[in-house]
Amino acid sequence: MNKFVCVRLVQANALDLALFQFDYDLTFAVFLLNADKTIYGRFGSRSDRKDAAKDISMEGFRKALIAALDLHKRYPANKALLAGKQPLPTRFKTPEDFPSLAGKYKPTLDYEGKVVQSCMHCHQVRDAERRFFRDGKKPIPDEVLYPYPMPNAVGLALDPKEKAKVTSVASGSPAEKAGFKVGDEILLLEGQPILSIADVQWALHNAGEPATLNAQILRGRKRIKLALGLATEWRRQTDIAWRTTTWDLRRMVAGGMVLQDSTAEERRAVRLADDTLALRVNHVGEYGDHAVAKRAGFKKDDILVSVDGQTRHFAESELFRYLLQRKMPGEKIPVTVLRDGERMNLELLMQ
Amino acid sequence: MNRPVKNPSIVFAGLLFLGAMSLSAAEDRKERVLNDRQEVEASGNWIYNDLPGGFAEAARTGKPLMVVIRCIP
Repeated sequence: MNKFVCVRLVQANALDLALFQFDYDLTFAVFLLNADKTIYGRFGSRSDRKDAAKDISMEGFRKALIAALDLHKRYPANKALLAGKQPLPTRFKTPEDFPSLAGKYKPTLDYEGKVVQSCMHCHQVRDAERRFFRDGKKPIPDEVLYPYPMPNAVGLALDPKEKAKVTSVASGSPAEKAGFKVGDEILLLEGQPILSIADVQWALHNAGEPATLNAQILRGRKRIKLALGLATEWRRQTDIAWRTTTWDLRRMVAGGMVLQDSTAEERRAVRLADDTLALRVNHVGEYGDHAVAKRAGFKKDDILVSVDGQTRHFAESELFRYLLQRKMPGEKIPVTVLRDGERMNLELLMQ
Repeated sequence: MNRPVKNPSIVFAGLLFLGAMSLSAAEDRKERVLNDRQEVEASGNWIYNDLPGGFAEAARTGKPLMVVIRCIP
């Protein structure tokens, strides 16, 4: 730690979004960089609501720090190698530049007054970005709905105790097709030295659709080049249900409901096939715009079996994408639910 | 038909208790936020919420920066 200048930021107020581009759903994110703002790497990943520490470890953090020190030692001779890690142009330079956040927060915390209320949270940046599209009645693009995909979106599981070491490769996945194997260590991705899982996510976040990401891995003592092919709409494999920012999506297209795919056993109990829509209402919001579904007559344990005429299987994330990209605020969507064995037709207002 | 509350003083006390609990939780949070700077800086290793200061120190010492974005839990 003494080899770094350590800075702690506790709020998103006036955050420089032209520099700090990361997964804003995180409650712990680290940037390792030079005094001239050249980024060496990122650290901090999350894929679960309850177990925030599942995807990070002190051991992995220590290895990321050591790797960053090595890059720093060789800087600026390696500046070209770091080009892909640098932030991309952004329309909004600070969170306060987003229309939905304008005028609501000051650049610094109000330590003399309501300090808690004066603090902007990081997830509000992503919320504001999505509202920018939604309030403008534009479809929210996939890269904004599915930010910073975890490596499992392409079929890779990486060890949080290492920088980027493969622990499993999903059968039939893009990673398997590219030739990744258990034990491979990802050294470079798109020419960028990889310090952490967060660095892999950065490369995935900025990948196109379709795209080919060039990787260099270490297998035993051999360095091997692999080409990771990503198909169109590859991001849609990502589950966003755990994200704090998904709460606002629930307001926008689910009237405040939390939905969960029925299990095979639950489907059998109500005679619904595995390939059909069967989203169970786990929670109905109580207040304000999150109570739209409640006011429309939806109840906990209802099973959504048809939404906007769609009866095929949807996970919650997939249904949200379908609605956010096709249905605009103000539209009313026909929904059929199964309640106590009976089908009921309701309407859901898009917000 | 609305039934009269049998013991309104108990209800009132309950509401006061719940209100106090909520206020206590809010005050706890406020105290944590206010104390956080003191506690973090006391450790001696951190520059608190001062990015320009951090960049200046990195430029002065030649060290790399570690910027941790972490809200106060």
